[in-house]
Amino acid sequence: MLKMQHVSKIYRTDLVETHALRDFGVHVREGEFIAVTGPSGSGKTTFLNIAGLLETFDGGSYLLDGEDVGRLNDRRRSRVRNEKIGFIFQGFNLIPDLNVFDNVDVPLRYRGFDAAERRRRIESTLDLVGLGSRSKHIPAQLSGGQQQRVAIARALAGSPRILLADEPTGNLDSLMARQILELIEDINARGTTIVMVTHDPELARRAARSIHIIDGKVSDLEPFDPPAVAIEARASA
Amino acid sequence: MEIRPILSALLRNRTGAVLIALQIAVTLAVVINAAHIVKQRLDLIGRPTGMDVANIFEVHSFDFAGEFNYRERVRGDLELLRNMPGVRAATVMNQVPLSGGGSSSGYFREPEREGPEVAGNHFTVDEQAVDTLGVSLSAGRNFRLEEIDYMDLDNVDVDSVLVTAAFAERLFPDGDALGSTIYSGGGDPLTIIGIIEHMHGSWVDWEELDQVVLLPVYVEQDFVRYVVRTEPGRRDEVLGIVEQKLSELDRERAVRGVRSMEELAAESYRGDRMMAVLLTAVIFLLIAITALGIVGLASFSVKSRTKQIGTRRAIGASRFDIVRYFLVENWLITTGGVILGSVLAVAFNLWLVRTFELPKLDFIYIPLGILALWILGQLAVLGPARRAASIAPAIATRTV
Ligand SMILES: Nc1ncnc2c1ncn2[C@@H]1O[C@H](COP(=O)(O)OP(=O)(O)OP(=O)(O)O)[C@@H](O)[C@H]1O
Ligand SMILES: [Mg+2]
Repeated sequence: MLKMQHVSKIYRTDLVETHALRDFGVHVREGEFIAVTGPSGSGKTTFLNIAGLLETFDGGSYLLDGEDVGRLNDRRRSRVRNEKIGFIFQGFNLIPDLNVFDNVDVPLRYRGFDAAERRRRIESTLDLVGLGSRSKHIPAQLSGGQQQRVAIARALAGSPRILLADEPTGNLDSLMARQILELIEDINARGTTIVMVTHDPELARRAARSIHIIDGKVSDLEPFDPPAVAIEARASA
Repeated sequence: MEIRPILSALLRNRTGAVLIALQIAVTLAVVINAAHIVKQRLDLIGRPTGMDVANIFEVHSFDFAGEFNYRERVRGDLELLRNMPGVRAATVMNQVPLSGGGSSSGYFREPEREGPEVAGNHFTVDEQAVDTLGVSLSAGRNFRLEEIDYMDLDNVDVDSVLVTAAFAERLFPDGDALGSTIYSGGGDPLTIIGIIEHMHGSWVDWEELDQVVLLPVYVEQDFVRYVVRTEPGRRDEVLGIVEQKLSELDRERAVRGVRSMEELAAESYRGDRMMAVLLTAVIFLLIAITALGIVGLASFSVKSRTKQIGTRRAIGASRFDIVRYFLVENWLITTGGVILGSVLAVAFNLWLVRTFELPKLDFIYIPLGILALWILGQLAVLGPARRAASIAPAIATRTV
């Protein structure tokens, strides 16, 4: 499904070069639910951005759904993002001036679906996330958890092959966080592959598999108690 | 197209858009009316005069000593002028057409001021006037040499006249002007021997500018105004040496007042030209300000929507989708503006018509103005739109 080998990513500014990922390799299989953990600044978001084709990388190879997506032009990358990937952000990233219905509609319009198809998809995903009755609300009229549900509906409406989530519960209190996680698990149970970055070891434990990133590399250490491992890794580095 | 969601986002965030739409409306209304006035003034300046304006100039001779023979003076000067290389024809006139100076009187078909009166702007000329002015006769004949009389200023009384077709039609609506007799006030009868197709008289702001009467007479006085026509393109060459040549012929008088007809006409039209220039400046200024306003609003909205644009890119918008979003948004704002602007333009014009007796707006200006503002808006928003399209999709995850 998603296969990266020897991927490296370097951020260059005038003063410093940051090796955000180095010799990074990961293989996510169809239908998996993977948690990505690691200390702050270790490269989790960088990995997710590259996986989601939001950023390019400097070395190595990346196969998504069997396709080498490392050398696509911007237009094709937009297309792949639109059709194969669903993104969920820590800050929800809804468009504040559009109501719930129109927010979910955004990627479907870029996809070029006709109005009837879009309506069908919007209504069914909003029902799935439990917000079928809120389609005329604007984001500011919703709670954080509800906003994240709308964002999940938006990510799912185009039937993506893989869902990428960067700290999807980071801005939510623990009750709402648990509900969102249950929703994500539910989506995974319906067959969508999921890669989720999280700081929360408890959430990470609920994923089928965890990968732990330290200093831009997948750590060999079993990440079952991530904070401790991270501290040890730092100390020994 | 994504018009509906763009419109609803716009309506949720309307302050800036409404201000720009109002600015566009005012711009359309003012620009259309200003362009209308500019066009009208330029048309006025560019009207056909019937004369070879580009190759004509005047020069004066003034016999300040008192002792002089008018007939010899004029005969000698005209001979010199007519034989100068590059000169095509020369005549003596009381005034120069288009110069703002001249005389007019009322003409009648009946003696003793009976019947309808038509104003004629009259000039005293000799037999070379037709060729000198470059006017053409549409009927009849020119003056003959022997028809030109010498008279006192107070006692001008001639037998035959040339009149313009416009004058002839006013006085003889049935078209039988040629050969007819007309009267100036209580004077002796004048026979119309020829019709000038078209010619402008002295005052460019006079409604009856093209009603001209030419009288075949040399008016004997110490001040003589020569009007000279050169071969095409040789005006400045002749005009540069004419004063010296005339002076050399006889130094006991003053030769001065060399001015081209173009210069005289330009002075007469100065007000119209200044109005046209001023209003053109207003048009460009307004357009520039509006374009800046559009760029400003779009730049601001790109800046304040950076995260939203990054998110759109992240969930599948291509760069072109982003550019198109801003183009469509601008088009909606401009369209709102021009709808209001069209109404304002017509209202403004009606007010101008009523207050300043301006001609009514030609309605073609409205669609042209709308088209121009649509294009202006799209061009103005293109820069900010392209900046928006270059926002990295990673902004979506990198900003909270
Ligand atoms: N645009 C950038 N320019 C320069 N350096 C960057 C840029 N983005 C990220 N980095 C650097 O790359 C490294 C990895 O960053 P990344 O955001 O992937 O970490 P993270 O694991 O997601 O951290 P966190 O848990 O705090 O979100 C960090 O050292 C970060 O400072
Ligand atoms: Mg991060």
